[in-house]
Amino acid sequence: MHAFILAGGFATRLWPLTEKRAKPLLPLAGVPLVEYLVRDIPEDIPITISTNAVFKDAFESWTAAFGRSNIEILIEDVKSDDQKLGALGATAQWITDARINDDVLLLTGDNYCGFSFDAFLAAASEDTTLIAVHDIGDLNKAKAFGTVIADGTKVKGFEEKPKEPKTTLVNTGCSLLPKSVLSILVEHAKEHPDNVGGVFEELLNRGKPITCFSFCEPWFDIGSFDAYIEATKELIGDRVIEEEGSTIGQTTCQGSVVIGERSSVSGSQLTDTVVFEDCIIEDCVLEDCVLDKGCTLKGIDLTGKMLREGTILERK
Amino acid sequence: MRYKILLLLWLLTDLAVFIGSYALSYFLKVGWIMSTDFPFEPYITVVAIVAPMWMIVLITTRTFALTRSQSSMRNLAYIIYSSAVGTALFALGYYFLYGLFFSRMLLLYALVISTVAIWGWHLLYSRFQRMMLRRDPPVFPTLIVGVTRESRELIKKLNKGSNPLRPVAVLDGKGCKDSDIDGVPVRGKLNKLEDVLGEGITHLIQCSDLEQSLNLLSACRQNKITYMLLPSVLGIVERDEKVESLEGQPVTMVGPKENILMWFFR
Repeated sequence: MHAFILAGGFATRLWPLTEKRAKPLLPLAGVPLVEYLVRDIPEDIPITISTNAVFKDAFESWTAAFGRSNIEILIEDVKSDDQKLGALGATAQWITDARINDDVLLLTGDNYCGFSFDAFLAAASEDTTLIAVHDIGDLNKAKAFGTVIADGTKVKGFEEKPKEPKTTLVNTGCSLLPKSVLSILVEHAKEHPDNVGGVFEELLNRGKPITCFSFCEPWFDIGSFDAYIEATKELIGDRVIEEEGSTIGQTTCQGSVVIGERSSVSGSQLTDTVVFEDCIIEDCVLEDCVLDKGCTLKGIDLTGKMLREGTILERK
Repeated sequence: MRYKILLLLWLLTDLAVFIGSYALSYFLKVGWIMSTDFPFEPYITVVAIVAPMWMIVLITTRTFALTRSQSSMRNLAYIIYSSAVGTALFALGYYFLYGLFFSRMLLLYALVISTVAIWGWHLLYSRFQRMMLRRDPPVFPTLIVGVTRESRELIKKLNKGSNPLRPVAVLDGKGCKDSDIDGVPVRGKLNKLEDVLGEGITHLIQCSDLEQSLNLLSACRQNKITYMLLPSVLGIVERDEKVESLEGQPVTMVGPKENILMWFFR
């Protein structure tokens, strides 16, 4: 088996946090998002992370720091959104170029899956595609995802971002594709390079069996600022994470608060706020905010803001 | 550099126009002769002394600002005001130097002719300056952020009026189907901001994506770029906003529609 993680997106909806950082490297509760996936994949499974040239150095640094030997960074040679191969296109190209003839654990790098991959892989059966599904509990929310119509564990139908969802069971960006269907994936990618979910519809159309692994653990698709804040709240709960070298003085923290490495906060009120590394916050009231690294805020009140790296706001 | 040379040339030519308009007033009043009763030399000497002071007054009205439209009534009012101050300075200067007063009609001539001449020259020179500033490569390449009805209108106005701020790129937070707006390329979403700003942008005009104003401001400050915001981003679309001050703190004000005379007292 080989794991393939899609991490090539430019994540424009999370700008400016993704201005100089790939979304899978965005820290969630102090840990890069992709790390939650990688550390749960069994050690003997080689991992390929597909990203683009812009984020090459960042991924290579992260891989070196993470210290797992069987991770390969595959660079999609594009510098902007309009040159992208597409998620399925990138997967197909890797399968073709690397002559993959093995089962593929296909993961999207911007998803947080709370379940154990051991349990997921244990649910797999011979020559059958397996997809991890989560009951999102809201038909409206389901419109943004691939929905799965299942009978027990057997998948009967799959609809990618339906206008009128029939179910609240959604695809979570984690699937196991047996080697026998890889040629179908490659063929489908030629026409629909962006539509990863579409491959499941295609497999069902061709009579290929698909089963689903349903889980109740937390799952987050970090696609927007609100989703990022919500995921942080869910993971951290009502506590404060103080990373190495950070200092907090005369400050009231409520809800989920993360203070990044070497950041200092004083005389402030922080509610559900994430502060990345090397920030200075003095006399501020921040609620539902994310501050990228190197921000300096003095005497400022903000609600619901993402601040780009190096922002300086000082009340005169 | 191109802008500085053009500005310096404008200031120097303005001085020449001011002095020239006073010389013309002299000859119109005295006649096309060199009078011995009211000699030209001391007269023009005082004009030359007063001209720089008049120029300082004119500069303080910000008539030379990039954003000022020379044809606006507001600008004409400032020029009339400066000319009036210039005439008063001239009368005082002449009295202080020579202890004499002279024809009141000459002062009226000087006021009217200097006002008309300066305004006319400003209209002509600003057209020339705009043309020169927009030539490739433009001196003030401007980035438009946000594709909205207001921003489309703005781009068209900037291009049609040959404004010194020449739009060279458009970005939109959510992306846009158009490849260009009035010939200005749409370069993509905000993730291209750094790349575009690195191309020598001097001005950024935010036309939508209110939630990103802090980040756009931050990027502008870091790159020494002038930031501008369309009031429509705040929902103000009726062109009745003003920037005022409350105890020294700037505020954007939109007042209820009232009698025009009340404008002076609000």
